[in-house]
Amino acid sequence: MPKRRFLGCSFPVLLGVLLVILVLFLVSLLSGALGSSLFGDLGLPSWLSVPQPHPELPAGVVFHLLGFPITNSTIAAWLSIIVLVGISYAVTRRLKLIPNRVQSMLEAALGWLLNFCQEVAGEENGRRFFPVVTTIFLFVITNAWLSLIPGFGSILITNAEGETVELFRGANTDINLPLALALISFIFVEYWGIKSVGLFRYIRKFINMGRFFGAIGQIFSGKIKAGFAGLFNGAVDIFVGALEALSELVRIVSFTFRLFGNMTGGEILLLMMLFLVPFVLAIPFYGLELLVGFVQALIFGGLTLVFATIAVAPHAVEAD
Amino acid sequence: MDPEMMKLLAAGLCMGLGAIGPGIGIGILGLGAMNALGRNPEARGPIMTNMILAIAFAEAVAIYALVIAVVLIFVA
Repeated sequence: MPKRRFLGCSFPVLLGVLLVILVLFLVSLLSGALGSSLFGDLGLPSWLSVPQPHPELPAGVVFHLLGFPITNSTIAAWLSIIVLVGISYAVTRRLKLIPNRVQSMLEAALGWLLNFCQEVAGEENGRRFFPVVTTIFLFVITNAWLSLIPGFGSILITNAEGETVELFRGANTDINLPLALALISFIFVEYWGIKSVGLFRYIRKFINMGRFFGAIGQIFSGKIKAGFAGLFNGAVDIFVGALEALSELVRIVSFTFRLFGNMTGGEILLLMMLFLVPFVLAIPFYGLELLVGFVQALIFGGLTLVFATIAVAPHAVEAD
Repeated sequence: MDPEMMKLLAAGLCMGLGAIGPGIGIGILGLGAMNALGRNPEARGPIMTNMILAIAFAEAVAIYALVIAVVLIFVA
């Protein structure tokens, strides 16, 4: 009869693993903030205690380059650019018709993204929007996941003013990067819309004075009743057009704060969990942060795609 | 009531009250998605995609409240 196995290990090994986990849990409970407030000072060695974190919203400046302050989130963004470009270059140097493992993994990822774009936007529009949407997705997800690597925020450096500042910080937690991505997404959506429908028809979606002035013409030429109805509808058209223009601009703010809020909230959550029960409590929240990074990248790219699809739609249905 | 206490209280109230609406909204979205999935299990792909999209919109409002709360605690 084969040896009974629990979760892949034999019984003594499983017992050992559970014992290690239990000891780790107890040690972290006692040494963290929860333990010290419940049980008082137990005299544990000082390297077990975690100091209270002070998350700062503005990113710390590391050095100045040509008059611009280079913050630690800028350096993290450069790192993710290097990672993405490095992976792409290394894999596409020798493309084979029958791909090896790394190439087929990247092909699967890109194929899934292309499928997603084409599902939402249709065949040829999906292929047209694919580069920008995929770039946004890959950039956001690389920024988010790189900041979860252990030791990412722990490398400290003293800058020119003498303060100790972390060398890397998650690039999405600096509000400038989500703002830049939101502006890029906005510019591209407007560009695609204007290119597909033509400049005047696109502007007419927002400044829709046709029916209003046509109705004034109708009143002057004698058709009073139809004229006044057209006047009212025309005023509603103008109002709706202005509201659409406003909502296009508010989209920038909404994109920015969605990405920034999720990432900064996640970072503060992880810091607090690591402070409360040092080794153990952060594990489920790490899983949450992985999921949130992926979902937020998908949302940013996906919403850009959806708004672009709406912008290039041939003709809005007249609501009559 | 000193300003420090008021700031902390305001941050707590902001996040707490600001999460009621989006919580209910996401629950309603989930209800709609489950109903649609029950009626038509074959349409799982589009239903899930659109549900995730709509949930991101609803959650963004809660994130606005979180940002204000964080600003109240750490910056103001």
